[in-house]
Formats: sequence, structure tokens, C-alpha cells
Amino acid sequence: MAAELQTLEAAAAPASRKRKPKHKKSKNPSKRAKQKASPMAAAKPRQPSKKMKKLFRKRAREYHSDEEDDGDVEREEEPSSGDEEDFDVRDDGSGGSEGDDEEDGRGAQHGITRFVGGCRAFRVAFMKIMKKHLPDDPLGPILSAHKKLVAEKLAEDDAEHKKKGETKKEKQLAAENGHIKPANFLDAKEKFLIGVATKGVVKLFNAVSKAQNAQIGLNPSKSKDTKGVESKIVTCFFSFIHFVVLAKRRKQAFFSELQKKNTQVSNSRNDEKGNVTGWAPLCDSYMLTSSKLKDWDKMAEPAAVVGQEHESSESSDE
Amino acid sequence: MARFKNKNKKAPVRPVKNQPSVDHITGQKIPKSFVFSRGKLPGPLRDLELDLRKLMLPHTALKLKEKKRNKLKDFLNVAGPMGVTHFLMISNPKSIPHLRVARTPQGPTITFEIHEYALAADIARSQARPSCPKELFSNSPLIVLSGFGSGGQHLKLTTIMFQNIFPAIDINTVKLSSCRRIVLLNYNNETKLIDFRHYFIRLQPIGVSQRIRKFVQKHEVPDLRNLQDVSDFVTKVNRASTKSAVRLQEIGPRMTLRLVKIEEGLCSGAVIFSEFGKEADDAHEEEDHED
Repeated sequence: MAAELQTLEAAAAPASRKRKPKHKKSKNPSKRAKQKASPMAAAKPRQPSKKMKKLFRKRAREYHSDEEDDGDVEREEEPSSGDEEDFDVRDDGSGGSEGDDEEDGRGAQHGITRFVGGCRAFRVAFMKIMKKHLPDDPLGPILSAHKKLVAEKLAEDDAEHKKKGETKKEKQLAAENGHIKPANFLDAKEKFLIGVATKGVVKLFNAVSKAQNAQIGLNPSKSKDTKGVESKIVTCFFSFIHFVVLAKRRKQAFFSELQKKNTQVSNSRNDEKGNVTGWAPLCDSYMLTSSKLKDWDKMAEPAAVVGQEHESSESSDE
Repeated sequence: MARFKNKNKKAPVRPVKNQPSVDHITGQKIPKSFVFSRGKLPGPLRDLELDLRKLMLPHTALKLKEKKRNKLKDFLNVAGPMGVTHFLMISNPKSIPHLRVARTPQGPTITFEIHEYALAADIARSQARPSCPKELFSNSPLIVLSGFGSGGQHLKLTTIMFQNIFPAIDINTVKLSSCRRIVLLNYNNETKLIDFRHYFIRLQPIGVSQRIRKFVQKHEVPDLRNLQDVSDFVTKVNRASTKSAVRLQEIGPRMTLRLVKIEEGLCSGAVIFSEFGKEADDAHEEEDHED
């Protein structure tokens, strides 16, 4: 069986070289349909190069070197061979197999032996393989005669892989040697250690504060820590209050701004005046005693804007 | 390796921080340290090395570059001019992590076996509210040694070594605000293991209500809606107290060490103390020479 397959391959080898470009071309389905309809007519044989022809002929000669007559017989058989019809009927991968056939046919026409018997044999063999009911083999289907060898090799690979993984794991374990992940809670030992450390710190801090307080010689009752806390509270409160007051002021400023917009009449001088004694526009007698109001009909006279240095300077410039 | 794009430009010269080698208040020499590895280290141990460097801050080379071909002599040559007084070496012979603490340049060298260790990241992961402010590392930690008094000569030597590894504090001049970290070494007499822990110190006022503590420590604006007067806020629960509590939170690496060997010189010289017998000791020496 295996030997048969091999010979088949040998025969197909030269043909396969030719086949490749053709497959690329046959992407459009119309062409493919044409091929199916009349393989002989459509298949315009592409001329292989002289060199290739020579090669094919040589191979053919070699193949039939011992039985010259058979080759002739085969050549005669070709045109009306039943194989092609057979292949047309077949549906699985018909395009490819058809191409094969054509190729073979053409090859034969150029004086190269067509391997009719081989084709049938291949078909039979292939069908046989496909029909085969496979046992549940972990290695999967193996066509080779050396089934045992393959299995052995695979097993070896597997073992090697396993070994590699193991060594890697070992290495990792060695790297993590001694490395522990602490628990999420404080166990008794940790608590004890923290206690020891705390005691040490407290002892030291007490000694330090004692020494430094003695050094200062001031109020020993006022220990440093509490003083710090108290003063901190006080400063925090002041800053807090300051913040509140600031906010209030800002609010006032905002409202006053609003008011100003409402009373367009107020000019900067009025504001200035208002800042001195409350806000003038809010006074009841503001409109009555409107001497301070700016008269927009008049031009700004230097006398009217005595208080404002900026404006006066500008006007003088003009 | 195109390190500089422009040839005309010179390599940026980093301003050298002039770290004083002598404390300007106490006048004592400030110990400085190198933390480096001997031989190839696996990932977690390299992390431990970095954690130890951080622990040894500020008087250590945080970004010390090591190369495979660096010998101990190289470090020693640099140590002299830099005023480095201590070496902490981590090695991993036969997959057993070791820590060696040595004084330069003469020694002695104390070799510990690291039984167990947890990285700072592991500890932070195990805590509900891990915190490790950066300013902690601007001052060197305090060191607390406990349980070392009972043992023999070797323990005394270890005590001295560790006491000198951080700058000594003078209780008359030290500022308590600069003492933010503590390294604890606790010797267990039964198991002969040394627990190495690193905490940070937090002071909390005692006898003050939660609200005021929050206000003072976190500067949160208090909610005064339900109070009649501001004085209520202060006087409600608070007793006048003069104390504040010391709270410790663990940071940094955690190690369980076992004292293995003490040598007279820097990773060489006569063996003063050995945990193992004579034969085992020889084997250990070989180990040390190979890295």
C-alpha cells in the first residue's frame, strides 16, 4: 500500500510543478465551470518549455524502459478513459482532482505516460483510508508503516517537554525559597514584636523628652506633645474661622458688584466716597442730594474730578 | 550604544550632593552603607535587596549599579573615598539566601541565613490601609534590639554591629519629629532566630475625640451643624491629657535571620563564631569563596 502511494507521488511530481500557476488563475468561477463542461475542449494545453519537454520525455523513457509496448497501449486508452467521468461525478475537492486529471491527460498527449492505473489505485486507496473506522488512538491516525516508531518519538517529545517544565518549576521554587506572603491579620508573634518595638520607642521618646525638657528648664508640666496638639488645634481653628470670614467677605463683594450693575449711575468717585461712609447709593437721601452724581451731559472737567488722580492725569494728557 | 545625541553636548553632570560624613551637631561619624548582591540572585531576592537599600536610607547608595564582574574589591575601593562604613551583601548559595553584614574595610563580617523573608510590597498587600509616606525615608531609622543580652559573645558583637549601622542619636539634641521609622531586631533564645522588622512610627494624641484628631491630623473641615457653639466641638469629650500614643505600622521588608557565622575580616579571616560544626563550617567557607 505504502509503496503504491510512493509511486503515485513520483508520477505526480512533474505535473505538480505545472499545476501551481494554473490554480492561481482559476479563481474566477466561470472558468472552472467551463472546465467541468468540456475538459478536453477548454483545456488548451500550455506548451511546456523545450527543456521541460525533454525532461518529461526522458522520464517517460526511463519509466517504460522495460515495457515499451505497455506505454503505447496506455496512450491509446487515454482519450476515452472512464476515469475522467468518474472524477467529474465525485464532488469532494473536485476542482483540484480534476485539474490533476487534465494535467495528466495533457502530459500524456505530449508523449508522457499517463498513470491511469495509478489514478484508480490512488482513488481506491484514498477511499479506503477515508472509509476506515479509526480506533480511539491518542496519537491520531497514522498512515505510516512505522507506527511504533512515531508513537515512540511522540512519547519521547512528551517526556522531554515534561522534564523541561519540571526543571523550570523547580527553578522557580528555588527562587522563591524562603519567600513568604504575610497573612492579612496580625498573628500573636507579630503583635508581640510590635509590642516590643513600641516599648522601645516609648522608652526612647520618654528619655528624649525628659532630657530635652530638663535642658530647657522651663515649665516641665507642659510636655512637648500636648503643647504641639493644643497649638495645632488653635491654629487650625483660626485658619478655619479665617476661611469663613473670607467667604463672607467674598459674598458681600459679590452682592455689592451686583448692586453696582443695577445702578449704572454710580461712578468710581461715588464708590470711593461710599467706601468711606457706608455705601452712598444705599442712603435714603442719595437721589435727593445728587450733587455727587456725575452729569453725563457735561464733559469731564478737571474741577469735577479733583479726587481722581488717574482720570485727571488722563484728561490733562488729552 | 548611542548615549548622547549630540557629540558637542557633554554628559549631564549630576550635582553631587555633599553629604556630610560627620554629624554637625554631635560630631560623630555618620555610618554609610552599600547594599549589594554577590552572585546571581533570583527575582524576589533582588527585590529584597532594593527594599533593604530603601530601609538603609538616607545614608546609602539607593541606585548603586552592580555588574556581574564586580568583585568585592571594587566595592571596597569605592567605599574608601565615599566614606562607606558598612556593607550589606545578599547572596544565594545553593538556593539558600544569605545576608552578610560587614564593616569596612577591616571587618568583622556577620553571616546570616535568611530563613524567611517578605518584601515590602507583600506587606503592603497584606494590610488593609498600607501607607508609606516618602518623607519617612529622609531620616535614618531608630534601631531597637531586644533579647540579645542573654546570649554570648557573638550576640554582643551582632548588637554592636547593628547599633553602629545607623547614626547614633543624642537624646539631648535629637528632634522627635525626625524619628519616623524603627528597625526591630528581636532575638529568640529558643529558636535562635532573629526577627527583623521595619515599622513606621505614628504619634496619636490620647484622650482627644475622634473628630478633633481628624481635624488636627487630616485638616478635614468639621461638621458643626448640630452644635450650638464652637466650644461644644472642643469640650465635648476631651479630657486634658498630656500624652500621645505611639502607633506602629509595618513597612519595608520582614526577615527571619539565623546567625550562621562571624568572621574577623571582610568576608575572610579567622572564624570567630560558627553555628555549625567544623566540617560544615569548611563547606560554608567554600561557598563564600565561589561567589
